[in-house]
Amino acid sequence: MAREVPEREQQPLRLEGVGRRYGRRGPWVLSGVDLEVAPGALIRIEGANGTGKSTLLRLLAGLDAPTVGRVVGRPRTAYVPERFPATLPFTAADYLIHLGAVHGLSRAEAADAADEWLERFGAAEHARTPMSELSKGSSQKVAVAQALLAEPELLVLDEAWTGLDEPARGELERVVVERTAAGAAVVFVDHDPRRLAGRPDATYAVVEGALASRTGTGNPHADGPHLVVRARGPEGTTPPAEATELAASVEEVPGDAHRISVPESRSDALLRALLGARPPWHVVSVEPEPERPLGVVPRPRRPEPIETESS
Amino acid sequence: MTALLRYQAALLLRSQRALPPVILYAAVLAIGVQSGQPVLDSLGWTAAALLPVAAWLVRICATNEPSAARSCVGAAAGPERAHLACVSVALGAAATLGVVATVFVTFISDATSADHQIRVSALQAGAAGLLATLACALLGTAVGALTTRPLLRSPGRAVPALLLGALLALVVTGSPARAAVSALVSGSQEGTVPVPVLPLVGAVLLTAGAIAVACGLTTRRAS
Repeated sequence: MAREVPEREQQPLRLEGVGRRYGRRGPWVLSGVDLEVAPGALIRIEGANGTGKSTLLRLLAGLDAPTVGRVVGRPRTAYVPERFPATLPFTAADYLIHLGAVHGLSRAEAADAADEWLERFGAAEHARTPMSELSKGSSQKVAVAQALLAEPELLVLDEAWTGLDEPARGELERVVVERTAAGAAVVFVDHDPRRLAGRPDATYAVVEGALASRTGTGNPHADGPHLVVRARGPEGTTPPAEATELAASVEEVPGDAHRISVPESRSDALLRALLGARPPWHVVSVEPEPERPLGVVPRPRRPEPIETESS
Repeated sequence: MTALLRYQAALLLRSQRALPPVILYAAVLAIGVQSGQPVLDSLGWTAAALLPVAAWLVRICATNEPSAARSCVGAAAGPERAHLACVSVALGAAATLGVVATVFVTFISDATSADHQIRVSALQAGAAGLLATLACALLGTAVGALTTRPLLRSPGRAVPALLLGALLALVVTGSPARAAVSALVSGSQEGTVPVPVLPLVGAVLLTAGAIAVACGLTTRRAS
């Protein structure tokens, strides 16, 4: 009774009026949650500690059933927990072969995939190491590799970056982008607001058990580091409405470009709005906002999205 | 499912946590069974002693993985199937143990009634012993499945519940395990070999129900 991997149409996962509480009289951790996870979607879930983010991810991963409401559709799913205290009696490679088989691969395919993913995350030398001897970072790499072995249709990452070293963090971001480009859905929680900044198709916050859409709305000052975009449009015009909606503030500097402050998570969308306007705006510079002493300096923006959008 | 079973079986074998219940079973058999004793009495003891061992094996399998690892498997295969594999591997281990013990006990015992007056067929006695042993393995599995994750999570409650459940399964009137064991014992007194098929059928049904309840609750209780 091997787990079949059918070539079926991927059914989008949908939560409909989902509520969850533990125990018959426990408080509602989540209530009235409606969420569709379309193929190829990258969704970020935010929220303070203990607000139910993890419960939401467990519902999406099928690990938890809703107390009320229903979950429709079940793509082939993989889950990466925040901490993976792998006191398992296997070597990393053996564990991954077992998990690959559970994900529906043949053992030979699983062995190949295990080597490939350990290599990509810089843990190839740990393939023969017993899991109990792995460092925290290396066991997290095994947890990540486990989820990627069989190219899941839905990847649920609960602070999966925690404990990874810097190159592995970057690699995981690249993998997430690759998976969504290949049509898989990815839902993630991460404490770092810069994680995949600008990439998510939608960002939601879990606030008092309810799901609030955060994309393009909300308090701009709660959105982590900001960028200042200096952009110049045709003489005497104001920035397009799509752009000002995304911005935290728009300031016209006489004799110079407009100075637009934007949360980093929305900066790509803002740039697209500016460059896509008719007539297009000219982006003079994109810099981290200097007055915001949040202790985190945003990384320099990669130029590719700007070029592709303007051509 | 094959992959899940292999994974769970490998976990059980490599973790070596199955060793204590196996040693306990061997010790209990050494106390209660001696060569040359009436075969049906010894087989009754062999079957009865397996019940708590089976329950313990289920507990070991169900708690063998750290919860993070369990979540990874659960997302891939579904938590219900993952738990079903867990319980099935424990049942398989208990049944294997029981079959080996039954064959061994049949071999060393005296194929006679309890008073050594009436000869019985060793082969038939062994078959009856197998049925009783399987009934006890099944019922022990049911007790184990109902007294561990996801139903009872704190060891402080789960372990006493397991012991009490195993005891009740052996002594309560109407329990298939008790029926199977007492069929062997009374058969030994009368010098006839019983065929405890009905207790086995009862045990199969009860255990299937218990496993269904446990698997169905995996996504409903906190991990």
